[in-house]
Amino acid sequence: MAERLSIPAGPSACAQAASSKEAAYRIDYTLAAARNTRVVALDDSAEQIVRDAAAQSWGQARFYTATDPGHELLSMEGQPVLLADELEDSNTVILVSVTGENAKAVTTIGATCKERGIMTAALVVTPEALTSAALFNLRSHARVLLLPADADDLVELLKATRA
Amino acid sequence: MLRPDINDLLSQTGPGTPMGDLFRRYWQPVLLAEELPSDDCPPVRVKILSERLIAFRDSDGRYGLMDEFCAHRGVSLWFARNEQGGLRCPYHGWKYDVTGQAIEVPSEPETSSFCANVKLKSYPIVKLGDLLFAYLGDPERQPPLPEWEPYTVPEGQAFTSKRLQECNWLQALEGGIDSSHVSFLHSGNLESDPLFKGAKGNQYNRGDLMPSFEVVDYEGGLLVAARRNAEQGHYYWRVTPWVLPNFTMVPPRGDHPVHGHFWVPIDDENCWAYSFDYHPTRQLTEQEVTAMRAGMGVHSENDDAYRPLANKDNDYLMDRDAQRRGVTYSGIKGIALQDSSLQESMGPVVDRTKERLVATDAGIIKARQKLRKAAMALQEGVEPVGNRAKDQRVRSVAIVLPADQSFVEGIGDAMIARPGVPQTTV
Repeated sequence: MAERLSIPAGPSACAQAASSKEAAYRIDYTLAAARNTRVVALDDSAEQIVRDAAAQSWGQARFYTATDPGHELLSMEGQPVLLADELEDSNTVILVSVTGENAKAVTTIGATCKERGIMTAALVVTPEALTSAALFNLRSHARVLLLPADADDLVELLKATRA
Repeated sequence: MLRPDINDLLSQTGPGTPMGDLFRRYWQPVLLAEELPSDDCPPVRVKILSERLIAFRDSDGRYGLMDEFCAHRGVSLWFARNEQGGLRCPYHGWKYDVTGQAIEVPSEPETSSFCANVKLKSYPIVKLGDLLFAYLGDPERQPPLPEWEPYTVPEGQAFTSKRLQECNWLQALEGGIDSSHVSFLHSGNLESDPLFKGAKGNQYNRGDLMPSFEVVDYEGGLLVAARRNAEQGHYYWRVTPWVLPNFTMVPPRGDHPVHGHFWVPIDDENCWAYSFDYHPTRQLTEQEVTAMRAGMGVHSENDDAYRPLANKDNDYLMDRDAQRRGVTYSGIKGIALQDSSLQESMGPVVDRTKERLVATDAGIIKARQKLRKAAMALQEGVEPVGNRAKDQRVRSVAIVLPADQSFVEGIGDAMIARPGVPQTTV
């Protein structure tokens, strides 16, 4: 069968389908935001990055901090929220770290995400500020790690993944 | 997802475009040396970055790369006679040297100054290893000659092939950065291809189909590392360097030669994949070179014009039976064609407004960002990276490290090419 197909006989299915003309027939419809993303700032410096990103317009992304001494999850308005509730309908969590503090929050959020099958990514803006232990902790809980991340990487990642 | 204007910015490399300007700050592969095999051999058409050029090798072995068309009536110099130190247009006998300078215009009086005022646009071209590199940019900004390791090792340690890929260069490049497809698309090849099989690392690949990724920004580009479980308390790391704008290297397997690619735009809907294999410390064996010439590993079986024999006109010789039996995951034979068949199927320039990226595409997302920033910065006068020796002396790495060690720390100098030092591989 394969040998018979090897004889070019005018435009094949693939040749025709890959043309610019055929590309115009791709069905045009609005893709819904698939990423129900939660973004969590792990320290005070990261909070500013997250606040700047939160100020933009997003589909379903929501933004939090876990920087208070108790590592409680707070909304951008400063309201305490429950991690379990906020992750209820989420499929991606992005952790943002500048100083590498807050290993406890990483562990709590990471373990919950793992249990619920939620994709986790971490942006580390200044990895040189992190101890090996902090980085190891993040690595254990993030399927994807960007380091050193630029401050605008968060926005870039959110836009690219239709958050 | 990418906005249409940014997609255009990244994918268009013709003269005067921001990405075209960026590419014109780098030496780029333009031909295999075998395409100009001897002095006074036939000239070869070259199309790169949407410019049509002619390359030739004169009677003294000097290489020339210049405007394809005769200054007189616009005849293609592909028809030219390559003789006695220049390329002579067969129409009226105008003759040009390797710099594009007209050296004879037979219709003009011998004492006329006309000839001295006729010069075709030309670009510097040099042979390094088995490749010819050219620089199409501002002569004032010409970087030093490239120092990619495959083109600095002794003769016999490297092999390069090229193949036409019928889609935009960025689709091809992104395949080179995207490590997550290997566990699926190329899964049938790890233990059958003579240029991959037998490596211990293959076991780790098979044992962990859900790798984690670290994307590390470094001065010349990115290091995209895939992390898989190894023995207790250890990770197996495969580190892929991407150097701006279009160089990627595949992490090594065992003592097999190391491979990688340059993804060179021909125009906005076609590119060349220049694919190399080299070994830092030994000659390639006859069996290895035979396998490469036969299209194994990252190479492909091509026709005389370097178009793969399996191409879109014959449905890439799709073998549904092999697909069903798992001999090949996609039904297409060979790693190179497995990649290009899918990338070409996206269309000549994929509409990135319709894509749905995921977090594990972070390497692609970051690479696009760096390309866009470099192109825009160049418009503001900021010179790009990737064209300096320190950016180019780079290696891919495969390594097993303790779980608590960062790979950047663990690989140490392993990603720096050092003459006579073996690659770090598993």
